[in-house]
Amino acid sequence: MGFHDTAGLYGAAAALRLALFTFFPALPDLLTSRVEVSTPVTSFKRLQEGLFLYSHNVSPYDGGVYHQAPLLLPLFSLLPNASMYPFFTYLVYIVVDIATADALYQIAESGEAAASKLFTSARKDRRWSGYVVAAIFLFNPFTIATCLGRPTNVFTTCAILHAVAKAISGHPLTSMLALSFASYLSMYPVLLLPPLLLLAYDRQNATNRVDSLVQFSLTAVLAVVACLSTLFTISYLLTGSWEFFASTYGIQLTLTDLTPNVGLWWYFFIEMFDSFRSFFLGVFWLHLSSYVGGLSIRVRSQPLAAITILLGIFSIFKPYPSIADISLSLAVVPLFRHVFPLMRYTFFAASTILYSAFLGPAFYYLWIYAGSGNANFFYAITLVWSLGQSLLVSDLTFAILRDEWEVERPEMAGKEIRQI
Amino acid sequence: MKLRLRQGCAGWSFSLPILGRWDAESWGARPWDGTKEGGTGVELWAWLQADTEDEADLKWLTLTNALSGLFCASLNFIDETRTTRPVMSFQPEGDHGSSLDNLHLLHGVLPHEIVCTENLTPFLKLLPCKGKAGISSLLDGHKLFDASWQSMAIDVRPVCPEGQECVLQIEQTIDMVLDIERSKRPRGYTIPRPPPGHDLKCNATKPYHSGDTCFPSDFAEGQDWSIDQIFGKFLKGTCPLTDPDVPPVCIHVPERRDIFTTANAVELKNPDGLSRCYQVPSDEQFSMILPRMSRDGDNAKTIEDETVEPETPLLYAERSFTGHGQERGGVQFILTNPSPDTSVEFVYMESLPWFMRIYLHTLKARVEGQSGANDGIIEEIYYRPALDRARGTQLELRVRIPPASTVFLTYDFEKSILRYTEYPPDANRGFDVAASIITILPSTSLDAPPSRRKISNLRTTSLLLSLPTPDFSMPYNVIIFTSTAIALAFGGLYNILVRRFVGANEGPETAAGLKGLLAQLVKRLSTKFKGAKGKTE
Repeated sequence: MGFHDTAGLYGAAAALRLALFTFFPALPDLLTSRVEVSTPVTSFKRLQEGLFLYSHNVSPYDGGVYHQAPLLLPLFSLLPNASMYPFFTYLVYIVVDIATADALYQIAESGEAAASKLFTSARKDRRWSGYVVAAIFLFNPFTIATCLGRPTNVFTTCAILHAVAKAISGHPLTSMLALSFASYLSMYPVLLLPPLLLLAYDRQNATNRVDSLVQFSLTAVLAVVACLSTLFTISYLLTGSWEFFASTYGIQLTLTDLTPNVGLWWYFFIEMFDSFRSFFLGVFWLHLSSYVGGLSIRVRSQPLAAITILLGIFSIFKPYPSIADISLSLAVVPLFRHVFPLMRYTFFAASTILYSAFLGPAFYYLWIYAGSGNANFFYAITLVWSLGQSLLVSDLTFAILRDEWEVERPEMAGKEIRQI
Repeated sequence: MKLRLRQGCAGWSFSLPILGRWDAESWGARPWDGTKEGGTGVELWAWLQADTEDEADLKWLTLTNALSGLFCASLNFIDETRTTRPVMSFQPEGDHGSSLDNLHLLHGVLPHEIVCTENLTPFLKLLPCKGKAGISSLLDGHKLFDASWQSMAIDVRPVCPEGQECVLQIEQTIDMVLDIERSKRPRGYTIPRPPPGHDLKCNATKPYHSGDTCFPSDFAEGQDWSIDQIFGKFLKGTCPLTDPDVPPVCIHVPERRDIFTTANAVELKNPDGLSRCYQVPSDEQFSMILPRMSRDGDNAKTIEDETVEPETPLLYAERSFTGHGQERGGVQFILTNPSPDTSVEFVYMESLPWFMRIYLHTLKARVEGQSGANDGIIEEIYYRPALDRARGTQLELRVRIPPASTVFLTYDFEKSILRYTEYPPDANRGFDVAASIITILPSTSLDAPPSRRKISNLRTTSLLLSLPTPDFSMPYNVIIFTSTAIALAFGGLYNILVRRFVGANEGPETAAGLKGLLAQLVKRLSTKFKGAKGKTE
């Protein structure tokens, strides 16, 4: 196993992306301007504006346009100007996509999804190889559209999957480092800490393992805190003030920018009565974080399953979701190939997602450009989109739990069951 | 006006909304070089003496509220999102001594305001004769607001004569462009009708001119008018409180134009032969008559004898939106320098509302015309980006236009969507974007004509920005639908997570869910019914 197996796959994926970039030069900018791809906290155009202000010594955080992490600024200012030499930017995004696929490949090859330390599925032989899982990710139209639209949350995706891959391979500290990067860039990945911690704890190397879970967690949390403080300090030194906190993380907490996206938050908070705004912001965030504890405890024996379900939930309920998030959540679902036969609504969920993926842009056009529809058209389609995704997530959860139950009751395989 | 000294305010300028659009192509340069007019909507700028920015903000708040009450204008709506601190555009007027260091310049615009008769009354009340005498006796709401273009402005500046205490000087300006034909109509002329054929003014030089075809002649040709015809009344003498050396009425016409006045008025001709003034006795009514001058006969006059050619403006400026849809757009700003030999340097200032998110990295300048120099026409940029709901965008550019060329400045912006309570009742009308202010900087060359040695201003028209709108009728529906979707997702997952799995034929006998409940209910009812039946029998 090694790079030789996947070199062809990665080459093909890179070639496809390069071909799209080269033969359809208007496509990247078109996708960048789509609300489904770019959100206020990830948009490439806003990154360009931030870079422009940064390079002209105006603080990009003293304005309402740039809401992304400060470290992206020096990183991208190293690259040649994206409007004049776009090739280098394309190259960065292609490399990030392939690095993400490679992390996915390692996760799939480890077989962690079907056989963790505390649990081994009876169906563990039915699985897709890392090659297939990586290929599904790389040739997913959502992933390709994300790569062409160049939002900055591809870096978060890459960091999250690397954190998982490192946790499985028994490098807890590297894993925590990757998770800190993801949290630094997008904030919400910090909620993945509990299941990731359990995963890393289960998969420690035999040589220097820590037996106490409390001690292990304390060390890991300390590592994350130390890493995040270092990143924040560097950001402070870069921008000269702490105002980036309010501008990057504050906006996700307060939702001051109500640009439409595929999520549920924007229209809800447009229509919200002013006196209840803060209350519902609190409720929405509480709802988003409430899944973490429950899932980590209930699916304790399969931390990777908890992470997969959480990624699905985040792509529905986070404040500024985009198709980059669903491409991440769809990337980890094929790891659970062995429970697919236990899922009940696959066809329904898949067709709902496909249906809203095609109708969403059409309804957005009717509202914004044609004027023949109103905001409710696009809002209704985001509702359907979210319901379809949530159906997929809960169905996957059901399948994973039933698979777990059938290890205790092997005689029940294939029989009618109910829940009490 | 007592409040100003107490506030430590070092001069302010206030302009009521202008009406109409200045047609620079046919009317030429603006009156007073544009320095005494605002844009569409109320405009106020002030130099405030304050040690800190917060103190200046506080004084600005007091000033806007005081002026709002004084002039019956909604100036108190100039909040922090509409206030900017121009850096390059304005210069303090009057004597300030050494106190320039802690002067704060604040500028605010309300582009949606429209002028009204209630603004004229307080304006006239400030005059020493309150509109009862002098030229202000002609100011009548019906005529003033019927003008093709109209502007009202007030400037206050400190004046410190040598060895005396400083005083404040107030200057009130009203400019009007009147359509003579329209103004001469009688009061009762409410329904416009086409004029009869013999009243049409036709251009007889056209080859197709005949009794039944008419090409309209130049509006200024062959006009005759008098003050009482246009304003509907005579000028009522002069105000006794005015400076007697300053003639109250002046007119810009060539020397050969015939003008008749009421008796006792003294004519003072300007040596340049292009204007003359009249001294009016203080207690007599005054009017002047400009008769129609014959175009043929012994003493034929031409158009050059009737009117003075308007002065060519230094710049023509035009601003418009590009693009379509309610998601994003662009601004195109077209500037033309008509002068064949001198370049023009100016500061272009935009103060944009926060919900118009501009992308400065898309700012591009393109020059068309004589010189091919495309780079470096933007000499300096001052940019203060907007903060959501806290302040607007402020953009100032110093640009130099080469002679006889046109500059196109473009940039992109994105329209943000607001909370539904932030839209005005007529949300689909759009939002007004204030006029951009162009300050033409004085020429530094020594051989520049006097008109180029001072600052002049220019304002573009305001723009109408349409934002995407939510559906205003359904906040409850949206709250309910979204909450249902979340509850479905949460409830479904919660059910799966907390319940135990059992085989379909295992577990407690009562069927769960609605079906079980119904079955139980039916069972209970049927036993009750049976029991009741048994009793009656």
